[in-house]
Amino acid sequence: MQMANLIPVAKSVGANRMVPTISIPYPLGDPATSKEQQFKLRYHRVGVALDALTTDIQEQTVFKVKI
Amino acid sequence: MKLELGNFFVQDIVFGAQTAYVEGILTINKEEALAVVKEDEHITEADLVIVKPGDMVRLVPVKEAIEPRHRIGGGPIFPGVTGDLMQAGNGRTLALKDCSVLVVGQHWGGFQDGLIDMGGEGAKYTYYSQLKNIVLVADTDEEFERYEQQKKNRALRWAGMRLAEYIGSCVKDMEPETVETYELAPVTKRTAEENALPNVVLVLQPQSQMEELGYNDLLYGWDCNRMVPTFMHPNEVIDGAMISGSFMPCSSKWSTYDFQNFPMIKRLYQEHGKTINFLGVIMSNLNVALEQKNRAALFVAQMAKSLGADAAVVAEEGYGNPDADFIACIVALEDAGVKTVGLTNECTGRDGASQPLVALDEKANAIVSCGNVSEMIILPPMETVIGELQSLARDGLSGGWNHDAILGSSVREDGSIIMENNAMFCGDQVVGWSTKTMVEF
Amino acid sequence: MKKAILYLNQFFGQIGGEELADHAPEIREGLVGPAMELQKQLGDDVQVTHTIICGDNFMGSRTQEALDTILSFLEDKEFDIFFAGPAFRAGRYGSACGNICKTVKEKFNVPVITSMNDENPGVEMFKKEMYIFKGGASAAAMRKDVAAMAKFGLKILNSEELKSADEEGYYGRGVRSQIWMESPVPATDRVIDMLLKKVQGQPFKSELPIPPSDLIPIAPAIGLGDLSKLHIAVVTSGGIVPVGNPDRIQSASATKWGKYHIADKYDLIGGEYQTIHAGFDPAAANADPDVIVPLDALRAYEKEGKIGGIHPYFYSTVGTGTTQAEAARMGREIAAELLAAGIKAAILVST
Repeated sequence: MQMANLIPVAKSVGANRMVPTISIPYPLGDPATSKEQQFKLRYHRVGVALDALTTDIQEQTVFKVKI
Repeated sequence: MKLELGNFFVQDIVFGAQTAYVEGILTINKEEALAVVKEDEHITEADLVIVKPGDMVRLVPVKEAIEPRHRIGGGPIFPGVTGDLMQAGNGRTLALKDCSVLVVGQHWGGFQDGLIDMGGEGAKYTYYSQLKNIVLVADTDEEFERYEQQKKNRALRWAGMRLAEYIGSCVKDMEPETVETYELAPVTKRTAEENALPNVVLVLQPQSQMEELGYNDLLYGWDCNRMVPTFMHPNEVIDGAMISGSFMPCSSKWSTYDFQNFPMIKRLYQEHGKTINFLGVIMSNLNVALEQKNRAALFVAQMAKSLGADAAVVAEEGYGNPDADFIACIVALEDAGVKTVGLTNECTGRDGASQPLVALDEKANAIVSCGNVSEMIILPPMETVIGELQSLARDGLSGGWNHDAILGSSVREDGSIIMENNAMFCGDQVVGWSTKTMVEF
Repeated sequence: MKKAILYLNQFFGQIGGEELADHAPEIREGLVGPAMELQKQLGDDVQVTHTIICGDNFMGSRTQEALDTILSFLEDKEFDIFFAGPAFRAGRYGSACGNICKTVKEKFNVPVITSMNDENPGVEMFKKEMYIFKGGASAAAMRKDVAAMAKFGLKILNSEELKSADEEGYYGRGVRSQIWMESPVPATDRVIDMLLKKVQGQPFKSELPIPPSDLIPIAPAIGLGDLSKLHIAVVTSGGIVPVGNPDRIQSASATKWGKYHIADKYDLIGGEYQTIHAGFDPAAANADPDVIVPLDALRAYEKEGKIGGIHPYFYSTVGTGTTQAEAARMGREIAAELLAAGIKAAILVST
């Protein structure tokens, strides 16, 4: 599964399971926020990615994140 | 808004006792010019060299190109950058044509710097081999970035702008040889004839992807990373409101000279009142997060729609992830019913087999393409090198490399070079000069 | 004198029709059937020395044997170029021409040229790998199709400048390169021309036709109870490497990848790891490489038992300016290593 900020790019090269990240230079933790907040976001999105691996899909799918 | 560009056509450049322009001959007092360069104490060493089309000279690392100009009535040629903030695009500006100030690092280059061959087979790869150039070769004490691949090049770029202002000022009391007039009535005050024509906007996506300040293109001195798309009069762009930045592989970059002479803007002016009604420029930007890219596209489409645009031209300064901004913008415009043509270069790889843009959409069905950034170029040694040839290999120029198991170094022992088009100074000329295109083999 | 060899099927090789489609490969000195026309079109500077003939069914059903036999015929022959067909609309013949051209090109590194009608399935199968000229539907087009192959073959042999697929008349191979236009038209004029045509609803031709997107088969989901038993691998195109970049991975247009041992790491610390990616501002990732390789988050899931563990190495390369072909190769190499290590799930973090 792919974690990417540029979902349109991931789609056009053919990724099937995608979880969005927050930016190109720092996909999983905004340096403007606290270390705790960064970890929280990273933990959440990696968790979504792990769940995506166990999810049956029929077409290219972008999994929703909450934070 | 009415801009008069008063032109002086430089036929030759020489050094001499007094900086002056007389009947096509531009004379530069080198000492005086270098004193202007060294007004900034960060410039530690500096020299000036004159190069002309056909000279067997290789320039590298080239950081910037600027057209020497002078603003009649006072004021900086780059408001908010080289002087106080003021409205650009109105009144009269004088320009020394067919020449540019080129800024070259005496030793150190970076990702964003490029190469120019003034003569020989390499000359065709950049626009600047056709110009007579005053080359500023200099070094600085900016130790924090000396060995960094990404350089702001601030002292050198600003020195180039000061030099262009100094040289331009030698025609301040003279009548220009020709005058080009650029004038558009306010959007709601156009003639019936103009209003009957298809309404066209030009959308520009200048380079603004560094989140740290100091690397991006500036709009009236404002970092383009910190803006959302805005509506501008095209005269502002060609009269010094925009300056080039110091980020992005070089063949994709738009130099300050490119902004000052923006061929696509001038071409739209030519059609204005004949085949189109040129509404103006939507100045967008390029971003590093999908949400930012989509936000910019949303602003552009709304603005085009509110202005009543029937058609748009979208041009991007860059490739790679900026293609996502480019395609998102075209798709948003098409979805808003604005018929859009894209203007870009491609990255199809050294083998030509890669996907041309990293994002694609079938709505982007009208694209003019200006070249392949990763085309491989091999050039023979050059008699004279200005700057430092090793910078191409050593300093991480986007089209150079220090070591490759098969190809060796970009700079060979005999002084010949092997590089990607990526490092050709503003080589893809997406601003509109390009006579290159892409075809399938 | 340059030399050429031509491949034909049993029908054009004058062995016989469908009933003789099992004919085993043979090589004859000199010219058979269309080889005469090819020789005529190539002129005096190139000699067609041999004709190879093989039955379409033989090539279709015993492909490897046919190819090996033909390669053995060619081993002691001198030739500068290889032709096959024209195959017109004949599907098995088109596929045979594609197969033999591909094999000859790989083995002998000589130019290979064939010709097929656009409805021949061989076109889609092989057009990326060789020059396939746009041919007629039937043998009525023989002379014209042979002439096109010969003309282009001569250009290659004489090292003349080769034009685009459209201009030359072969199917595009998916290779896009920059050219300077013969009569230079600046991009500005091309934009205005396209814009006016688009506005007026007239036909226009984009210089960048959008290719159909590549869909990749979807991997089946991991069974719900299985995740807690699996080791997860992390791969990134974000250029995270140990400080000093021991594998000298390029900062742009990468052709190399590295793998770095993390079995004893709880997270990646700035100062020990950095990004060498030149395409973005590296400040955030250098300060905390976990924002690209989320090792700390994965360790937390490992501790909770949501996943069985983390693969002891993470894999890294740089995505900026990197060609699709290189990226795909590196991806295959990394995937092969992961599969060999028994890894069934990976997270690819791109920047």
